[in-house]
Amino acid sequence: MKGNLLAGLVQLLVTLAVVAAVILVVLVPFALSQPQPAAVLTSFLLGPLDSVRHLGNVAEVATPIAFTGLAATVIFRSGLFNLGIEGGFFLGGLAATAAALLLPLPHVAAPFLAIVVGATVGSLACIVPGYLRIRHDASEMVTSLVLNFAILFAGVFVLNYFLRDPAAGTLMSYRIPADARLERLLPSTRLNSGAIIAVLACLGAGIWLFKTRAGLNLRIVGSSPGFATHLGLPSSRIVMMAQVAGGLIAGMAGAIEVLGLYPRFSWTHLPGLGWTGIIVAILARENPFLILPAALFLGYLQVGGNILAQEVGIPVEVVGLITAAIMLAVTANAIFQHPALLRLIRTIRQRGEASAS
Amino acid sequence: MSDDRAKTLDVVPAVAFNGIAKTYPNGTVALSDVSFAIRAGSIHAVCGENGAGKSTLMKILFGLTEPTAGEVLLDGKPVSTGAAGFAGQHGLGMVHQHFSLIPTLTVTENIILGHEPRRGLLIDRAEARRWVVALSREYELAVDPDALTGRLSVAAQQKVEILKALSRDTRILILDEPTAVLSPPEIEELFNRLRGLSARGMTIIFISHKLNEVRALAESVTVLRGGRLTGTSRLADIPDDAIMQMVMGRAVEVTRRVPAKVAGDVAVVLDGVSTAVRDPADRIQDISLKIHAGEIVGIAGVEGSGQRGLVSVLSGMMNPASGRIAFNGRDMARVDALGWRRAGLANLPADRFGQGGAPALSLAENAIAGTDGDPELQRGPLLRGAAITARVRKMIADYSVRNSGIGERLDSLSGGNAQKLIAARELATRPRFLIADQPTRGIDVAAAAFLHKRLDEAARGGAAILLVTADLDELLRLADRVVVLFAGRIVADLRNGPELDPARLGPFMLGLETAS
Ligand SMILES: Nc1ncnc2c1ncn2[C@@H]1O[C@H](COP(=O)(O)OP(=O)(O)OP(=O)(O)O)[C@@H](O)[C@H]1O
Ligand SMILES: [Mg+2]
Repeated sequence: MKGNLLAGLVQLLVTLAVVAAVILVVLVPFALSQPQPAAVLTSFLLGPLDSVRHLGNVAEVATPIAFTGLAATVIFRSGLFNLGIEGGFFLGGLAATAAALLLPLPHVAAPFLAIVVGATVGSLACIVPGYLRIRHDASEMVTSLVLNFAILFAGVFVLNYFLRDPAAGTLMSYRIPADARLERLLPSTRLNSGAIIAVLACLGAGIWLFKTRAGLNLRIVGSSPGFATHLGLPSSRIVMMAQVAGGLIAGMAGAIEVLGLYPRFSWTHLPGLGWTGIIVAILARENPFLILPAALFLGYLQVGGNILAQEVGIPVEVVGLITAAIMLAVTANAIFQHPALLRLIRTIRQRGEASAS
Repeated sequence: MSDDRAKTLDVVPAVAFNGIAKTYPNGTVALSDVSFAIRAGSIHAVCGENGAGKSTLMKILFGLTEPTAGEVLLDGKPVSTGAAGFAGQHGLGMVHQHFSLIPTLTVTENIILGHEPRRGLLIDRAEARRWVVALSREYELAVDPDALTGRLSVAAQQKVEILKALSRDTRILILDEPTAVLSPPEIEELFNRLRGLSARGMTIIFISHKLNEVRALAESVTVLRGGRLTGTSRLADIPDDAIMQMVMGRAVEVTRRVPAKVAGDVAVVLDGVSTAVRDPADRIQDISLKIHAGEIVGIAGVEGSGQRGLVSVLSGMMNPASGRIAFNGRDMARVDALGWRRAGLANLPADRFGQGGAPALSLAENAIAGTDGDPELQRGPLLRGAAITARVRKMIADYSVRNSGIGERLDSLSGGNAQKLIAARELATRPRFLIADQPTRGIDVAAAAFLHKRLDEAARGGAAILLVTADLDELLRLADRVVVLFAGRIVADLRNGPELDPARLGPFMLGLETAS
């Protein structure tokens, strides 16, 4: 136990060192090429922390990726590489909008019911590839990728023919009724009650995964299928349950994103927050308790970038590049500490050595 | 090899360890201050209890892990074992205690991995296959070059491992418990090949828990205890009990089990059971067998004679194509693994880290896996941390599992200690029927005697036990009855007694005789 804690601490220090190194290598030369180098550094690094509003922004950005990171965690723990999270997020947002616009929802429970509809419909994006894998042994990675795009096109079709507001200039839905939208928590930010749900979801999932029998069985099935068979665990059912749970979380994330931030639904491409969720899951080493810090860190980077763009007038593309570099380095570093990956690398190395002899 | 090189090899040891120490990152001290030398061209045995540090020392020699202190010398020169490609450059080959083959590749692909014969940019498959066939013939280790490795029995995979280690110009061959799953004729065959290799000048390091094997093969032996060197000696100069003394610091008495006077009711019945699969290890034909409560039935046979098939149909991993299976009067032919466990089966599988446990999960989690619904360990869906810790601590103490914390991963245990933990878990269920498949493979003498006592106790407590083992001494020590399998059929069903010995079983195992 003490060893674990120490190892965790060392890993954290390594990650921080990597961030510092990237900042030195990427950000400092870039800052020096600008008219006010100090302003670049301070607004990027300290900007997100300098006011309640900016802190609120960080939390706002972290909310959806905490959800998708959690969805990815639950799904990866089952041993499947199901990428339906992205499609589920999109579908969840769309279905929640449709429910809010088309269904006669009672006033008080409107946001809740819209989220339930979004989560349920969105979960299909993860359930279908999971089912195809378990029943027909089809690669869940391929089917989920294909399905994501099918969902996008079907979704744009639904938006265009059923939800579109002809009075709006571009392709977007009717205005989402105010009583279906989530409560804002902080003035002049879009931080909403979804953030509270995200915190509760991560804590709940952590307890479920590490402190309950069902969570232990899921980890056995995902990490050692042969052992699960030996114990007689209902592996297919457990894996399927994880796809349903992951899908529901992804769908809920999309619903909360739309109902919490936007007056109308207007996604005509995949929003990409499912992909970010995969990065969050890897950074958090598939541990729900570490999802919140990981999501907040990515949120911090993005808000820092936004501030840089707004206040120092650096082009958004350049800012994007810098954030991407930091994210890449941190992720690469986390990937190399990822247990499954480490195991893979170790066995490859052993095999290489054994065959080189 | 040039003449003067051969001369220097005679005086300079091929391998020398000098003050080797190893502390794992989690704080486990696996080795401290180990120094000894191995004569070039000799066969050198390394002995020691589970967790003594044998595998760790070999991994250091092979460059898989770095020592914390000390140096390794090859031919008298210090080498840096951590360097990339180290093992290949110095002609080191290693057969690992736990397999490192890729299950989804064929035997040929696994053996050529890393040094594939090429034609242009492509792998020359025909050439590779020819080469593997020639290799297998040269070393008299029969393998099917086209078989999918994951489908092979454990013993067949072991042979592939050995061939792979020999497949390069190997000068120093490390064998970490290579005989654990081979049957006696196969072991004899392997030993003959190893003697031949050693006569050609190869240095062989051989790890085994079996003293008779060490004596049959090796010239000298080094003993480790608790990570420290207890001594190196020529085998000719030292009697068995002195070695046991060095291994354990005390002597262990090994006796035949006294079977229970009266056998209980019939517990397990197989009646004309056959499976319809092609793999010989899984194929059984027309098996009829009864196991009584309180009886230990031992299964003998050359590996791959149907043992795996028999275990599979008796544990719900596979359903028979025909025949009747009953357990305590209940029809079990179509019951799945969970149904068997609920009915009172416990199963100690041969593949420890593949089926016996989850290597990436903690000791505690492995120890309580499968106890779903135990009211002592969970309240509703929630696991009770304190109760689990207490239970697991007790299991670990009862089975003296050498560990560095119950929160550590299972694969941080040495092979024998992992098996003890798995046995503790399976026996904790107080089974009515117990399958023990190679239960003491890779386990040191003291721990094996301990596990044998537990099996005996379980039998006395009324469990029906099916013991599958490649170790005939173990079989004859424990079993009330010995059933010999050959090509998926029962060729002999013999009552165990003083007149039964390995020589008597040999002809049945090779299919030369039947008596049932
Ligand atoms: N990767 C690891 N991390 C931490 N501790 C380890 C690791 N590998 C081995 N150990 C510990 O080091 C000690 C020596 O282990 P080693 O595997 O060398 O024993 P061994 O002599 O080969 O035993 P066996 O006969 O059971 O195979 C044991 O206490 C074991 O728990
Ligand atoms: Mg070992």
